[in-house]
Amino acid sequence: MSINTPPWSPRVARLGLVVLAMFALIAARLWTMQAIDGASYLEMSEQNRMRDFRIPAPRGVIYDRSGRALVTNRPSFAVSVLPMEVHDPARLVASLAPILGIEREEMASRLEAGRARPFEPVTLRRDVPKTIVMTVEERRLDLPGVVVQAEPVREYLMGSLGAHALGHLGEITEEELRARPLHRPGDLIGKTGVERAYDAYLRGEGGRLRVEVDAAGRPVRLISRRPARAGQSLVLNLDARLQEIAEQGLSGRSGAVVVMDPRSGEVLALASAPTFAPGLFSGGISPASWRRLTTDRGLPLLNRAVEATYEPGSVFKVVTGLAALGEGMARRESRYECTGSLQLGRWLFRDLAAHGSLNFIRGTAVSCNVMFWSLGRMLGVEQLERYARGLGLGAITGIDLPGEAAGLVPSAAWKQRAWGEPWYPGDTLNMSIGQGFVLTTPVQVARMIGAVATGGRLVSPRLGRRVLAPGGAEVTAFAPEVKDALLPLAPGALHALREGMRAVVEGGTGVAAAVPGLAIAGKTGSAENPRGVPHAWFAGYAPAEAPALVVVVFVEHGRRGGEVAAPIARALFEAARPLLSPQPAGLVRP
Amino acid sequence: MRARWLREVDWVLVGTTVLLAAFGIVALVSARHGSADVAHFLRVRALHLSLGALAMVVLAATDYRRIAGPWQVIYAGTILLLGLVFVIGDTRMGAQRWITLGAFGGFQPSEIAKLCLVITLARHLEGARALPRLRSLFPYGLHIALPALLIIRQPDLGTALVLLAVLAAVLYVAGARAGDLAGVTAAGAVAAPFLWKLLHDYQRRRLAAFLDPGADPLGAGYALIQSKIAIGSGQLFGKGLFAGTQSVLRFIPEQHTDFVFTVVGEELGLAGGVLLLGLYLAWLWRALRIAGTARDRLGALVATGIATVVAFHVVVNVGMTVGLMPVTGIPLPLLSHGGTAILTTFAGTGILLSIHLRRRPGG
Repeated sequence: MSINTPPWSPRVARLGLVVLAMFALIAARLWTMQAIDGASYLEMSEQNRMRDFRIPAPRGVIYDRSGRALVTNRPSFAVSVLPMEVHDPARLVASLAPILGIEREEMASRLEAGRARPFEPVTLRRDVPKTIVMTVEERRLDLPGVVVQAEPVREYLMGSLGAHALGHLGEITEEELRARPLHRPGDLIGKTGVERAYDAYLRGEGGRLRVEVDAAGRPVRLISRRPARAGQSLVLNLDARLQEIAEQGLSGRSGAVVVMDPRSGEVLALASAPTFAPGLFSGGISPASWRRLTTDRGLPLLNRAVEATYEPGSVFKVVTGLAALGEGMARRESRYECTGSLQLGRWLFRDLAAHGSLNFIRGTAVSCNVMFWSLGRMLGVEQLERYARGLGLGAITGIDLPGEAAGLVPSAAWKQRAWGEPWYPGDTLNMSIGQGFVLTTPVQVARMIGAVATGGRLVSPRLGRRVLAPGGAEVTAFAPEVKDALLPLAPGALHALREGMRAVVEGGTGVAAAVPGLAIAGKTGSAENPRGVPHAWFAGYAPAEAPALVVVVFVEHGRRGGEVAAPIARALFEAARPLLSPQPAGLVRP
Repeated sequence: MRARWLREVDWVLVGTTVLLAAFGIVALVSARHGSADVAHFLRVRALHLSLGALAMVVLAATDYRRIAGPWQVIYAGTILLLGLVFVIGDTRMGAQRWITLGAFGGFQPSEIAKLCLVITLARHLEGARALPRLRSLFPYGLHIALPALLIIRQPDLGTALVLLAVLAAVLYVAGARAGDLAGVTAAGAVAAPFLWKLLHDYQRRRLAAFLDPGADPLGAGYALIQSKIAIGSGQLFGKGLFAGTQSVLRFIPEQHTDFVFTVVGEELGLAGGVLLLGLYLAWLWRALRIAGTARDRLGALVATGIATVVAFHVVVNVGMTVGLMPVTGIPLPLLSHGGTAILTTFAGTGILLSIHLRRRPGG
């Protein structure tokens, strides 16, 4: 052994002793820390708890075009629970649910869902009245893990005005959470309207408060603070006064109104009825209110101007008329004999009245079905489809609102696909007066009327006008999106159509829309539909010589466009008269 | 033949390595417990451990004399790699220590450098039969000083200190006089104020916090105080696995890397901490035993160097978490999360096994 022991062996052994000594030193240190002082360290660890509180960012203010605030924020209190601090959920539910006035099962299931993320507070009720806040604070020691936090909530200064355009907030869903990693559960985000479309600008960025708390969860000391960044403000093209008049016109009915500058696409009013109070959603909507809104057969949450499609009825005669004029099958002087019906093979198509002998202008003014049937029969479905699409029907307008419907422009191929039937000549007749398969949204009709008014150009309707930084400096201004005419429209064709539309308001079906001293062109519609009484439409623009405003009024089951929709349009034209400058509605800047 | 080879392997060393790796997996899961990325960390760790095991087997099967053969090449390569960090390195957490490698994420050249320099230093010293004078230590000091300076500039003070410890231990086993080594250490202490100027601000703050952690409880001293509270509150048998409140509340930064011992201390208590230290001690005992029975000076010096690296890491890392040492960012071998460190420890174990397999007969 000794012969084989290498010379360095003793030195290695001594090195081993050094290592052993160092380990012994550490072990001794562990002994003092854990065995001797352990109890006091344990006490420190229990008292020494740090919590992160989120400071929610106030959302940006929303203004109308003249700088009137429509949506701001007001301070409120929210009651939340930190799941990790709750050791007896059943007891907490039993004592807290009655204080907050929420159902026990609901609170229990929310707590359960929050267990997956023990550090994130689960917000049980937002916008809590002060009396509840005081009760919670008084009973704080019986309510471990409960925190009361201040947070700004949305305040709708004009009540339900513009509810569908503004939209409402809602708690982020699990699905949305996956798509937006920066958000946390319980965050309120824009769910509809511009609140959703411009959420990225409006939402700001939450801050963080790191606080040391004692065993009872009371803050002891502030550790660090990252302030919240307020959201950017949004100036809309909406004009609060016109919006008010539009909503007054629709009150008590179902329907929609769109008021737009056809040159820029600026939307001055966008109303849908029945409406709702977006303030209900400010502090997270109560389940009872949500049930009431979603089971209401009037569908108050539906934005009828954008998300729903309807038969356009006689408003579609704008397409038929323009196609006939454009294809040289009609001129303003062309004469038609209206006997009150049209024979097509074995079928007789009946009109409401026999108009006798009339020219294109008069036929348009009185909305003579027989004239448009015969024009449609000459044109055929392909031309009707081409002109309808050329005027932007059958496709979304690109308005800056979520959930826009595309509508439907039928064709022979479409009918074969959808119905398994060939296209019949009778289908063409129906289509030429906007019945049958054609479906449009009110905002599409507004864009179509705008195209007629401006010479065929299609604009994307826009609610958003400018984005302002919290200090008021402009961040972004949205330029109008205009597509050039999709159809080669002969000036003469447009001219005759416009003349016909003026005759509608001056001595035809739309006289109820007339405003003395203002040249208005338009078209009424009474659209038969399978769900009951016909829908009432009025779609027009003014001034006829230099169009600056398009007004579309749609009243669901309103029966006669000329009697129900046209007067609402008149009120809007009248109110907008001072705005009808030759410049694109520049108006007052906020 | 094959059976004899299997009998000759140092199974105690292999066994403690495996147990330490298993300990590391448990500590990792506990440190990341409650966050969504546990599965991700486990996958990464599994990759590190398999690569490490592969390296260990390959190096155990290779003659260490062949590995140490081209030592000038290894040395030049190491210096080049350390220099490369400044050119193409990534900065993470304020230090430029990483080189990115596509899908593998990246590696820390300074970790590999420790092992490479152990080999080159041992080879350099192999021929020196005696070190009779202080002057004769000079070339070896230079051998380590050049890479150490590069590493300090990254800045990675801890790793530079590891190299100095390796230099001292290897010189001592190689036959340097204890008095000479003590003299050099004293000279180093005198030079320390000048080195202080070389340090980065955060390094100075950390050293200052070590000297008086209460002075700035929310700054650099924060981690140290939290770390001590976590370990101390574990008491004799800990709060139970996954039940540590300090870790659950994420009071401790970088808990799965440099402060992983706090998980052990808090959740498994003194018993768990001593068990872990015992495993390291068993590993070091085998490593030093291999050094003492090596066939030649080269094997003895390489084994000494590897043992010193691991011993230094354990002592400084655990010492840091219990407040005996400054916070230097040195990983705990096989427990801290970090691919290069784990790979290097396994590789070192493989070289130890290789030295053991080729030890002098009867040793």
